Amino acid sequence: MQGKTGSESWQEVWDKSVNGPRALIDCWQEIPCDPCQEACAQGSIVLSSGICAPPALHAETCNGCGKCVAICPGMAIFLVDRSIGSGLARVTVPYEMRDEIRLGGEAWAVDGEGNYLAEGRITRVSGAGRPGRTMLLTIEVPEEWALKVRGVRGRRKLLEEPEEVEAIEAVEDFAFCRCEEIDYSRLREIITQGEFRSLPALRRFSRAGLGYCQGRFCQSILRSQFLADCPEEDREVESFRVRAPVRPVKLSRLGGEDG
Amino acid sequence: MSLPCEQLDLLVIGAGPAGLCAAYEAAAVGCRVTIVDENDKAGGQLSKQIHRFFGSSHHGAGKRGIEIAEELFGDCLKLGVDVRLSSSVLGLFSNGEVMIDAPTQLCLVNPGAVIVATGASEKSLAFPGWTLPGVMGAGAAQTLINIHRILPGSRVLMVGSGNVGLIVSYQLLQAGAEVVGVVDTAGSISGYQVHAGRVRREGIPVYLGHRLLSARGSTGLEEVLVEAIEDGTVKRFEADVLCLAVGMSPLCDLAAMRDCRMVYEDALGGLVPWHGADMRTSQSPVYIAGDASGVEEASVAMEEGRIAGISAAEDLGSLNSGEAAERRAAIAKRLDELRAGPHSRGKLAAKERLYAR
Repeated sequence: MQGKTGSESWQEVWDKSVNGPRALIDCWQEIPCDPCQEACAQGSIVLSSGICAPPALHAETCNGCGKCVAICPGMAIFLVDRSIGSGLARVTVPYEMRDEIRLGGEAWAVDGEGNYLAEGRITRVSGAGRPGRTMLLTIEVPEEWALKVRGVRGRRKLLEEPEEVEAIEAVEDFAFCRCEEIDYSRLREIITQGEFRSLPALRRFSRAGLGYCQGRFCQSILRSQFLADCPEEDREVESFRVRAPVRPVKLSRLGGEDG
Repeated sequence: MSLPCEQLDLLVIGAGPAGLCAAYEAAAVGCRVTIVDENDKAGGQLSKQIHRFFGSSHHGAGKRGIEIAEELFGDCLKLGVDVRLSSSVLGLFSNGEVMIDAPTQLCLVNPGAVIVATGASEKSLAFPGWTLPGVMGAGAAQTLINIHRILPGSRVLMVGSGNVGLIVSYQLLQAGAEVVGVVDTAGSISGYQVHAGRVRREGIPVYLGHRLLSARGSTGLEEVLVEAIEDGTVKRFEADVLCLAVGMSPLCDLAAMRDCRMVYEDALGGLVPWHGADMRTSQSPVYIAGDASGVEEASVAMEEGRIAGISAAEDLGSLNSGEAAERRAAIAKRLDELRAGPHSRGKLAAKERLYAR
């Protein structure tokens, strides 16, 4: 029997989870990743066409062991268990934060955007205190949230929205190359004048990147500014002449008393 | 000044995923291999990756980066690879000699073959306030929290919704910082949705279609202004750390110094040494692997490293050409799989253009 990928499998997970936990996989992008398939002893997770295929779940044979939840590098697999009845579901999530979450304590169940869904009791904690292990937390929530829960949080405060401010005045000038004290406006002026059509020439003239740090801070931005401001048909994208030493070295090393 | 010059068989520069895999493959067929790395620990970027890795089980997927680093390093040691840490290569000269700043002295080596696996460096952005203390690369913040166990600040704004920006946001949260948002000029998340999912479920908002205006503060970063591209409204974030996750460029100045032909490929992060699918550059016997040959994922770096190791072993006479070609083909197949997804399309095309030149 074929499994189903992404949200198409969720209806089946919902149906089968009345019998016990089932894996809910929230992974539908084509990315090169397959540990869930390797971890599943039941053979219930299958990547149909190579390592980039999204995992397909066969909810009938899934036994809810949770191995895939613990190993998924994207932390994108959960367990849903509706077997406890009375309108409640247990959802298991992978957890790698430091909040104190205790067995029997209360925590928040949140959705994929971090929005509060419900407060619930933590009914199972596994892998705690074992370095390198991903903890699995099981939280009890009203059944209607079972497919929506993506995380568990201690009651950490929610972020306040950033303040909207008036549009600011025109950008003031700022340092481009700190070592040689070249301002951004000066560098752009040199580039747009169009006399220097290769990076080495631009560097020689402007001195940007030739100071103490030897371009470690500004070389990449010098290149992107050059690419942005110098018309494509005019420019040569050539390499800087690289000379030793490519890393700072003490002069005493090169010619000290014992040199 | 004259230095004695040590003869080596294969020198691998960089003990990251590419370098370690290259060294392993070559040593496995009997090459005498030396690795140098400027850090005091082997593993390169893997050493600060505390998250589980994507990829196939063949590349250690599902394991954390630090665990993969330890395994690869252990494998090399078992084969007797000579690993020299805290040693920076200062120059790769046209006469074939390599100058190394080793812990106690400067030394010269003359290897029969060199694999450059030096990785990549973070790109930056120029904007008002970019020189303020508190503005840093996302990789720098990651090094601070995961290697040095130092929290760079308490409120962080991340620029860039690629995998690096998303992963580092999550790890800053794990380390105890507050992350006030992830900002990207793009209209959609640049990284994997699952990474974005992890960040968003922790309540970190992702502001797409927003661009950085300026960073402000007196003695250090205090606030960041961000503009919505569509309607020009400006948001003010209080933050003492601004992380830039705006891409990486290959760190291949050593190859350039050795006169390897350089080619510009935007999708690979900028200038890269030309190379074939066998990771040979235009200068024999210089090979390139990993992010230094074009920025991609760690699993790709490992496979490229293996190919470079095999090519070097072939040229040093430790592998016959038939056997080498066969081994490369098996790895190339796995590489094709890794690059099959839509996220790798641009990079794959760029690599194919490069091979064809």
